[in-house]
Amino acid sequence: MPMTYVLQTHRLSKSFKGKESVSEVNMKVKQGEIYGFLGPNGAGKTTIMKMLTNLIKPTSGEIELFGEKLTPASYTMLGRIGSIIEYPIFYDKLTAQANLKLHCEYMGYYNKKAIGEALELVQLRGIDGKPVKDFSLGMKQRLGIARAIATKPELLILDEPINGLDPVGIKEIRNLLRILSQEYGISILVSSHLLAEIEQLADTIGVINHGRLIQEVSLEQIRETNAEYIEFQTNDCQKAAYVLTQHLNISNIRVIGNRSIRVYDLSIPLAQMNKALIMNDVALESIHQKNSSLEEYFIGLLNGGEQSA
Amino acid sequence: MLKLIQLELIKYKINGYVRVALIAMACIFGLICLIAFNRSEGQAFQDSETLFFAIDTFTKGTFIVFASVLLSRFIIDEYRTKSITVLFMYPINRKKLMIAKLFIVFSFTFISIVLCNLIVGSLMLLLNHFYEFMNETLTVGQVGRQALAIIMNALAASFISLIPLFFGMRKYSTAATIITSVLIVIAIYNVSDGFSLNSIVVIPIALSWIGAIIAYASFRNIERKDINP
Repeated sequence: MPMTYVLQTHRLSKSFKGKESVSEVNMKVKQGEIYGFLGPNGAGKTTIMKMLTNLIKPTSGEIELFGEKLTPASYTMLGRIGSIIEYPIFYDKLTAQANLKLHCEYMGYYNKKAIGEALELVQLRGIDGKPVKDFSLGMKQRLGIARAIATKPELLILDEPINGLDPVGIKEIRNLLRILSQEYGISILVSSHLLAEIEQLADTIGVINHGRLIQEVSLEQIRETNAEYIEFQTNDCQKAAYVLTQHLNISNIRVIGNRSIRVYDLSIPLAQMNKALIMNDVALESIHQKNSSLEEYFIGLLNGGEQSA
Repeated sequence: MLKLIQLELIKYKINGYVRVALIAMACIFGLICLIAFNRSEGQAFQDSETLFFAIDTFTKGTFIVFASVLLSRFIIDEYRTKSITVLFMYPINRKKLMIAKLFIVFSFTFISIVLCNLIVGSLMLLLNHFYEFMNETLTVGQVGRQALAIIMNALAASFISLIPLFFGMRKYSTAATIITSVLIVIAIYNVSDGFSLNSIVVIPIALSWIGAIIAYASFRNIERKDINP
């Protein structure tokens, strides 16, 4: 089956006053997936998202949306996208309902139930008659998401959608995005500088730093390559390695420096390894079981990116 | 296009501005009355010609400044609060969106100036019928010429009223927009001995061209420009 991409960029670059803030980004967002854009503040996430929605124009490179090239006159494409860029902005003297109504009118979406449904989905209640300027950031964020999804777009572009939300709110929004992706088949591009958030949400992660897309990888793939391991600290690594490989037939080990050794093969119980090492006079200083969090992996990537930039 | 104009009017609650415009009209009427009935320096208005000239000058001055408030609200504010980014992500031609906004400001100004001239002018003539503060020798021909003059003057003033957009857009500043309009009004409608810059026909015509060009420049390149408020 041919893979269909809802969004692709080819060597997308953007300079502001001669300074390159996005360079040569090739990203691919598959139909129906949640694509997490991960990178520190100022990495270029928002700039890319602004280019995707035609707010700013690339200095060079191309954007393809829904299989078509994005041009300055691609207005109809914008009707298939829901978005929050930078932070949610409203006509803040108007109420939430009035804002959503305007939005639907401009989008050319005339479903009277859409507004109520969207507000229900983001669980924004008790806001009747209240102008948006009196909303908290969390409420604005919810309203922003409601607006983005009200017209049932095919692609959602959400820039830091969990900013300003409390932990319960974050969880609710995460669930909502999953539902939108799985039940409505909406493709979602979501950015965050919080790894833990992206990790729990995305199918594919694009790591970006200093305007470059350092890596684009499916989460499944990372989980496979970043298995858990047990780390022994000892002053006799060679002997430990010998014991583990020869006595216990473990092949998947790695010696780190000259004081620690990592075992990736977890089929053999820790107690058994421990016993074998001690019986062979390998003095252990510490044993540490590493559960897979992606954190190290990504920090490694980001630091690597820093050096090359 | 009609739909876009309608949405803009809903978005910025035009009713409030209509109310303020009516109040402004009432003030102009009051002011003209004060001048007409002030007998300390003899007759203020010799004839209907000078009366209409005074009304027209006050009206244009007022509504050019009023237009700058509308420009601030409909265009500058949209950039200043960044809501333009929301507006420009809709599947609607950006030029049309801008034209809708400019059309509202232009036509609001035009209609206000014409109506204000008509209403205040008629009221004064009516008052003169009872109180005779000037020698009225109005012929049908004069009325026709006056009406045409009002409309042409209102057209010119409505274009001139778009000039502050240029200065307001530089830093998305409401203050700059309104101050520019006040300066323009002072410069061209400042009357001394029945003479103002506006009386030199070339000047209002040139200024209206400048206003039209500024309006056009505000959307000419808008599809290719980065929207970076």
